[in-house]
Amino acid sequence: MRVIACCKAAPEEQDIVVNGDGTLSFERAAWKFGSYDLNAVEAGRQLVEQVGGEVIGLTVGGEALASAKLRKDIISRGLDSLNIVTVAGSAVPDTLQTAQLLAAGLGKVGSYDLVLCGAGSSDEYTQQVGNQLGALLGIPTLNAINSITPNGTTVTVERVLENEVQTLEVTLPAVLSLTSGANTPRIAGMKDILAAGKKETTETTAAALGVDTTTVSAQVSSVVAPKQTARQRTILEGDVAEVTTKLIELIGADLR
Amino acid sequence: MSENIWVVAQDAKAAGELCAGAQALGGVVHAVLLGCEEATKAAAANGAQTVVTASTPAANTLLEGYADALLALFEERGARLVMVQASTTGRLLAGKLASGLHTSALGATTLALDGEAVTVTYLVYGGTAVCTRRIISPTAVVTVGGGVFEAANAGADSAAIEQLTVTPNTPGITLKATAPKQGEQVNLSAAKRVIGVGRGFGAEGDLDLARSLATLIGAELACSRPITEGEDWMARERYIGVSGAVLKPDLYVAIGISGQVQHMVGVNQARTIVAINKDKNAPVFKQADVGIVGDLYTILPALTAALR
Repeated sequence: MRVIACCKAAPEEQDIVVNGDGTLSFERAAWKFGSYDLNAVEAGRQLVEQVGGEVIGLTVGGEALASAKLRKDIISRGLDSLNIVTVAGSAVPDTLQTAQLLAAGLGKVGSYDLVLCGAGSSDEYTQQVGNQLGALLGIPTLNAINSITPNGTTVTVERVLENEVQTLEVTLPAVLSLTSGANTPRIAGMKDILAAGKKETTETTAAALGVDTTTVSAQVSSVVAPKQTARQRTILEGDVAEVTTKLIELIGADLR
Repeated sequence: MSENIWVVAQDAKAAGELCAGAQALGGVVHAVLLGCEEATKAAAANGAQTVVTASTPAANTLLEGYADALLALFEERGARLVMVQASTTGRLLAGKLASGLHTSALGATTLALDGEAVTVTYLVYGGTAVCTRRIISPTAVVTVGGGVFEAANAGADSAAIEQLTVTPNTPGITLKATAPKQGEQVNLSAAKRVIGVGRGFGAEGDLDLARSLATLIGAELACSRPITEGEDWMARERYIGVSGAVLKPDLYVAIGISGQVQHMVGVNQARTIVAINKDKNAPVFKQADVGIVGDLYTILPALTAALR
């Protein structure tokens, strides 16, 4: 089975600093692949461990992807090779463009049985790239997949809706986006990290693939920290009986 | 000039909310109801002038099989904005529609229409920031979650009813079985009181301390991400944060929760926030109306006893 695991690198959100004016500073935020994308890599690895084949990473991004450390990190999680589509300058592709770039990138990869995506990227989390990609490719597409069982030319999947779980049979090739609980991504060992440096990485550009990334369907007007609702910030400390009495005094109506 | 806004919903609650929202945006409202004909009333009462019903598909097919028919409908009727209920099915439909309409599907926590562009806001970087985007493609496709808009139920209730007569089709996908989801169902976004638990609890059994208080004051129990994704102590439906539920309760009590932005963004709209944490430097105290610095293992029993 040839499995493509789509993944996206983004600045580590824990290290993004909110400036006084609400804008963001990314200076201290190292780039990393999204934690939900690791579910896609892991699911691919598990399938290949069962039925044989290979897991190929496919990523779209800017200059940050030049980092050897970043590349090794994602490969070490279970990829056999990595395909990178770079976008020039500071352009951030929207979900349609990302799907178009992935579709074009898949053309370079050759044949494939399954394209896997995580639940959402760690930056935008629109949860739409897999859905839009599948629609562009015109192949069976599902989201919220919790488990995948291979049976030859099809896979049986479990899909989690709000109140029910569906069991579906899907003809390959297909695009599946996973839930964040689909699996527990493996931690790379030193051996995996060393081996990752020797695995094949192929690079191409959006321009070479003939995908226009200049016209976005939605322009970013601003990215600022959410406004916090003003709070009382009354702090109670000390004797347990006293603080509970005081709390009930302050907000008793809300508690009864 | 009023723009055509199409709502796509799977239940009466979403139909009402989304139609009311579309009306508030100043559009001419139309609704497609997928397998929920009974929602016609909710759509009409919230301003839908046209209601297109699509019947529940045969046992082995999915609602997503209507995607091509919807695409044709929206192209024919000139939709400026398509608002889709943000369910798993709705998201997949939105993605299919967006690709077909040559645009990007976005999720929206707020939505505005100014004639030239549809503006949406949504959380990015795990809730660290709000991104505002102007959708400049001719048609915008947006998924809208529960509670973003409120149903007004004040409309004339006189929609033109049509039926979508196509048979839904998802080539290569066969629905084999549907089972009810395991575990309890919970709707945090509807809860008036919510108690959130976090890493401050040392063992799964200790959550009973919070459970007792929740039962006593009629609150739903919720949690931060580590409790569901790290420890698996609580169902995923109970996790608050950017990829979980966003709540608007009257009261939120954060117990043993440090107050990471990713969590707090989910409860920012609570009327009153109480925090209990033993670390007096925990960020949660900056965002609480009342903060108790102390050990939850002594405070919770005392508080429960005092309220009983």
